[in-house]
Amino acid sequence: MKLSRSFSVLLLLSALVFLAGASAAQTLNFASTQFRPIEEQQFFREQVLAPFVAETGIQVNMIAEEYAPFFSRLQAEARTGRFETDVFGTLHGDFPALLAEGIPMELPDPQSLPGRTFIEELVKLGQVDGQQIYVPWTQATYLMAANKKALDYLPEGADVGALTYAELLEWAKNLYEATGSAKLGLPAGPQGLFGRMLHGYLYPAFTGHQVQKFDSPDAVSMWSYLKELWDYVHPSSAIYENMADPLLLEEVWVAWDHTARLGPAIREFPDNFVLFPSPAGPYGRAFITVINGLGIPKGVQDFDLAWRLIDHLTHPETQVIVLEGTGFFPTTVEAASYVPQGANKLLADAVAAQASAPDALVSLLPVGLGARDGEYVPTFKDAFEAIVLRGQDIETVLARQGARLRELFEDTGADYPQP
Amino acid sequence: MVRILRKVQLSYLLLAPTLLFLVLFFFVPLVQVVGTAFRARGGGFTLAHWQRLFTDIHFPDALKNTLLLALLIIPAQLVLAFLAALIINKQGRGSTALLYIYAIPLGISDLAAGLIWLSIFTERGYLNSLLQNLGFIERPILYLSSRSPQWLVAAVVITEVWRATPLVMVILLSGLQMIAKDYLEAAEIFGCSWWQKVRLVILPLLKPSIQSALIMRTILAFQVFGPIVVLAGRLLPVLASESFHWYAIIRHEYIASAYALLLMVLSVLVTWSYLVLLRTKEEQLGVM
Repeated sequence: MKLSRSFSVLLLLSALVFLAGASAAQTLNFASTQFRPIEEQQFFREQVLAPFVAETGIQVNMIAEEYAPFFSRLQAEARTGRFETDVFGTLHGDFPALLAEGIPMELPDPQSLPGRTFIEELVKLGQVDGQQIYVPWTQATYLMAANKKALDYLPEGADVGALTYAELLEWAKNLYEATGSAKLGLPAGPQGLFGRMLHGYLYPAFTGHQVQKFDSPDAVSMWSYLKELWDYVHPSSAIYENMADPLLLEEVWVAWDHTARLGPAIREFPDNFVLFPSPAGPYGRAFITVINGLGIPKGVQDFDLAWRLIDHLTHPETQVIVLEGTGFFPTTVEAASYVPQGANKLLADAVAAQASAPDALVSLLPVGLGARDGEYVPTFKDAFEAIVLRGQDIETVLARQGARLRELFEDTGADYPQP
Repeated sequence: MVRILRKVQLSYLLLAPTLLFLVLFFFVPLVQVVGTAFRARGGGFTLAHWQRLFTDIHFPDALKNTLLLALLIIPAQLVLAFLAALIINKQGRGSTALLYIYAIPLGISDLAAGLIWLSIFTERGYLNSLLQNLGFIERPILYLSSRSPQWLVAAVVITEVWRATPLVMVILLSGLQMIAKDYLEAAEIFGCSWWQKVRLVILPLLKPSIQSALIMRTILAFQVFGPIVVLAGRLLPVLASESFHWYAIIRHEYIASAYALLLMVLSVLVTWSYLVLLRTKEEQLGVM
């Protein structure tokens, strides 16, 4: 008797909890693989989402997470047939992968959103078989940054705005000899983005391609170059996750990283730093353009509510706030014409200089690897660890990793990324 | 009769939440992990993930580092914890305060502990600033880099010893307090020195506690993760961090599962060997 009474209390309690949950129906779950570092998350919640909540009364629950839990969440929701994630934001290349995992997406034409014109090229990138699967959200790239003190040690005749990899090596060497410690830093920690430099910057600049020439003689000379460079790269690079902190601490004077991960240093002391395009190699000045999109899973409970959040997040005013606060660039013509000030002007100018360089070579992230998308970058990073950090034979490592890379594309039937 | 039945029922009822928890969050995932480690992407049985795991460039290091760290951390912890437990058990002045201070790291997550020690060991960290201000070194020493693996290991060992020794100490202390005073008094009457008392009376009677402390610490040492990720990145791979890396960064849950399974097999083997090697006879339990 006693038991059944406590049981009924329990039932009542759970019913109450359920009702409380149901009454707060005006809540959107927003999952994002972007704005994951804790400062960016805080900025996003307070400066980007809070105005939306204040204006509409709709609560937004932002879930910033790594790619794997993000994919697992959406896969699990797709299996139950009920999506709890209303809106999600992630890399351009993840959307086809999500489609392949059984997460359907069908969006209206982004250009129908009032008060903005999306850059047409980006809208097209968000389509698969003519169907819009994401709304272009933000753009980003990777740049070089340097403490102004380092400029005194530039090799003779080198122009920081049109640097070559050979000059970067000499510069790093000069800095090492002058200061007694390695002053070039690269984000090669486990969560750092150095892998992007390998496949999207160094490989195309030295071999003309990301994948096709993986184990060519050109690639061997690239790895020899990197090995030589590494003597003048700060040894903590293997644990750096972002370059803003080491730049601020002056552990390093010259660095390469994602615009959003250089931003905090530049914003703190805009007068101490210069920003400039990545170096050029024999085949050109290769760089990656990162595009992020916003999607809504098909079959979400309240599509209009979710669409309102996308409306807010891609509004030119919001995009300017995001640019000012984080260094992610806008996708609408209106916001792109906004001229930022101070630190963000440095970032914007360097991005423009990189994109319009006469020897520019645009690298795109691979599309179509589906569930095995995560294996692409580690193939390059493992080669780096074996060759540079452990001193293994270049040809042997490239033969092994090259076979893995080709197998990845053969198994998935994906096209090689550009170039 | 009815009362006894009731009692039995009650005990099952009290056990039920724990059991349910274990089944839901331990046993079910365990079965899934075993399945995942042997399942091909498209379905069907495969050993390909294991082949990939054993030929991965990080695997030999991960295995070696996991064992090396356990070998370095556990004996140090055992000795330090035993000494601390002896001191605190003396119930001298301030021993309660000492107990509390000693137990502080218990309340800190392993990731936070890693961050604390990162702020000490990083190039512009507290250690280098101190040494530089005292004039011992001219320029900062780099502890956490691929060029000084011995420092990386040392940093992780120090962090782990600092963080998890209190756990061993608490287990040993409770064991010490179970030892009946009569044994020690008897030893004293026979003229035993302090060291003889420790060696001949305390240690043998403490064996059950040492055994449980060892089992717990070894399993936890195999799982060491937070300090590794913070202090060494992937420069010092261990089995647990590789499992995480394959899951979260590479998004390959199959190889991540294989790593997890390997870790479990290792833990089971070690636990089993402790149980066999440190078997305690009933009369050694020391409870009167």
